[in-house]
Amino acid sequence: MGALRDNWRVLLLVVFVLASTFALLSPTVAPDEGPGSPGAASEGATNLKFGLDLSGGTRIRAPLVGVTAEEVQFGGDSPGQVERNVAAQLRGADVTDVTARQTSQSGGTVEVTADNVTQSDLATALDAAGYGHGEVRDGVTAQTREETVRILEDKINQAGLSGGTVQEVTTASGEHFILIEVPGEDRSEVLDLVQSRGTVRVDVYYPVERNGSTEYQRDRAVLERDDFQTIGAAQQGGNGQPPHVPVVLTQETAPEFQQKMVDTGVAQRGGSTCTYEENRQTTGPCLLVVVDDRVVGSFGMHPSLASSMRSGDWASDPSFVLQTQNFSEAQELSINLNAGALPAKLDLGPDGEGTSSYISPTQGESFKTDSVITGLIAVFAVSGVVFVRYGEAKVALPMIVTALSEVVILLGFAAGIGYPIDLAVVAGFIAVIGTGVDDLIIIADEVMAEGQVRSRRVFRSRFRKAFWVIGAAAATTIIAMSPLAVLSLGDLQGFAIFTILGVIVGVLVTRPAYGDILRSLLTDDR
Amino acid sequence: MVTFEVPEVDYTRYTNRQLAAVPVAVLVVALLVIAGWYVATGAPVTPGLDFTGGTELRIAVDAPSDQAAREQIRAAFSEEPESIRSVPSDGTYVVTFKASDVGAAQLERQAEDAGFDIRSIDSVSASFGAETQRLALGGVALAFVGMSVLVFLLFRTFVPSIAVVLSAFSDIVIPVAMMNLLGIELSLGTVAALLMLIGYSVDSDILLNNHILRRSGDFYESTYRAMRTGVTMTLTSLAAMIVMTITATVFGIQLLSAIGTILVFGLAADLMNTYMLNLSLLRWYKYEGVAR
Repeated sequence: MGALRDNWRVLLLVVFVLASTFALLSPTVAPDEGPGSPGAASEGATNLKFGLDLSGGTRIRAPLVGVTAEEVQFGGDSPGQVERNVAAQLRGADVTDVTARQTSQSGGTVEVTADNVTQSDLATALDAAGYGHGEVRDGVTAQTREETVRILEDKINQAGLSGGTVQEVTTASGEHFILIEVPGEDRSEVLDLVQSRGTVRVDVYYPVERNGSTEYQRDRAVLERDDFQTIGAAQQGGNGQPPHVPVVLTQETAPEFQQKMVDTGVAQRGGSTCTYEENRQTTGPCLLVVVDDRVVGSFGMHPSLASSMRSGDWASDPSFVLQTQNFSEAQELSINLNAGALPAKLDLGPDGEGTSSYISPTQGESFKTDSVITGLIAVFAVSGVVFVRYGEAKVALPMIVTALSEVVILLGFAAGIGYPIDLAVVAGFIAVIGTGVDDLIIIADEVMAEGQVRSRRVFRSRFRKAFWVIGAAAATTIIAMSPLAVLSLGDLQGFAIFTILGVIVGVLVTRPAYGDILRSLLTDDR
Repeated sequence: MVTFEVPEVDYTRYTNRQLAAVPVAVLVVALLVIAGWYVATGAPVTPGLDFTGGTELRIAVDAPSDQAAREQIRAAFSEEPESIRSVPSDGTYVVTFKASDVGAAQLERQAEDAGFDIRSIDSVSASFGAETQRLALGGVALAFVGMSVLVFLLFRTFVPSIAVVLSAFSDIVIPVAMMNLLGIELSLGTVAALLMLIGYSVDSDILLNNHILRRSGDFYESTYRAMRTGVTMTLTSLAAMIVMTITATVFGIQLLSAIGTILVFGLAADLMNTYMLNLSLLRWYKYEGVAR
């Protein structure tokens, strides 16, 4: 029992190392994967997750485009009215680009999420529309950011980009960014997906007789995303049917839509044939599917559906299909309908404020092996110096083993909480080995100072003295690194977090254990 | 087995003035370099892509020679690359472009059209870079102030504390001046290294102060004991960082090679600062300062 009590620090280290090994290797601890994720390919034999620069993939970090007016007095108008009135005063912005949110009894915020609308544009528009307002600033509201994050997540999941994550990050100066990370995917593909707003609407395009001549009229937005109760997955079509997305309309919209179809002649007797793509001036009545102001599908109506609408039966079972020109448009349509439109765009163009990076999976793979080799070589260099300096394996060997066990514990920790390992974290590991060995040298030198350490009492007092220096050094390292760990400087956060963790683990667990090991090797009374 | 012993320096042969003169002179030269750089370029160090914005591509080029590959790269892009570096280990090239009207998307397309295999693309917008730079500099300043406060709390006496802070300051300033002289740009990696230096360099100073101030025994004996440990520590780190810098450069892992380079300079500067600057201040304090 005595041996157990004397060596509890060593035991603690062993427990930590074992627990970390378990977290690293046991299949039961494996971090949750998204449904149907093929991401396991990059995981290898351990539970470690790798960041984008080691596994390959795309990272995009950008603020949202928009200006916001705070404390706008709505003057009794509903948010919808405010939106329409403000939009009417803005050139280059649609009603869909203006969002009014009621935050108090008398008013709230108004944000405009169109490109090229400046703070003064919005202020002028508010003044012209007669709404008193507070400060007008760049950026959007917190709700809009949350909504954007949610919709982007949806879009990425539905596009089948497994393992993709979207989050909101805030810099120390209070700027908000949206951070999107998609492993294994090309930059351009991810950009295409997240850069489009994805606003979907259905227009009717139909001929009207006016003064004896035929003119075409286009009624916008007879259906919008909110009008659908269920939205199906994209279908390939076949047997003469083009690719499409099956949908069911809500009970509220169905009768209205049915009436509109009858009135505009889409649901005329015998159905309608649409030739919008071939010739807009001779076509029958059409329904147009519009995504971000681009027509992706145009179609008429089958005679049987038309007759069901004319009799009014359709509204009781309002299922419908939205046809598109090709299957990929149908997929995109389904994603956009399911996820909804982004309330604001990411500021990404050449003059935008965003950053993006892409690393090919092969490059990530070679970074992974290369950084392991680099780390190992650094460890060998440290070992070499330590061996040459002490010339005694029983001092030097435990030193290297202890320093390495710190890395094992940190790796286990990373695996346990699912923190992705990237190059910055690897740099952190190397820093930890560096500070770790430094401290072990202090312990060894202090303990072995002035000849033989015979009694345990002498050992203990020397060890305690050594620990003052180690504690002080650890505290300075933690203080030096903490700004990086807290400030979201993105790429270096992992470096700081793991250096700090390593120092803490070192001071609390591994370095005291090294002291015990050294004691049992050096003292005579045991 | 080969062993090395840290040689015992006979400090009694030098006056405090003589000892401090060298590190102070180096510090002054370093500060002059940085000041000159600031006057000439408007920044104390040349900020890199992370801070100025721009696009960096790592591409594999199928070409018979290095010369041909570089020509191909120049021909492929509509914009003149700011720099083209080759990575020895896998034959890829790292091409950087300044922030401009030509966006990353366009450069990506041009690289694809030229048949290059794109290994990685990094694109940072100018305004984001400026923000990062502010954060990074703020972070370094904050870390330094935090460290100074802590050192004062630990020793509670002015001269030994200021000795540590001064030599840590010099440990940071000298590598920054070296960056200017060697044409190394400030990147996130070098900022990380500067922060790491604050932590690393203070270790040996604290050790020295602790041995001299808090232990019984003769000044020179304490110094020698602190040096034996401290020099071993610094040499170990130095060895690790030298090999890390070399391997990371061969493999083209820029983050690691940036960290390594700065630490090599910083740790070397630390050896000088700790055992000449800090030591002379401590000796003055021990023999003359306390008596006052």
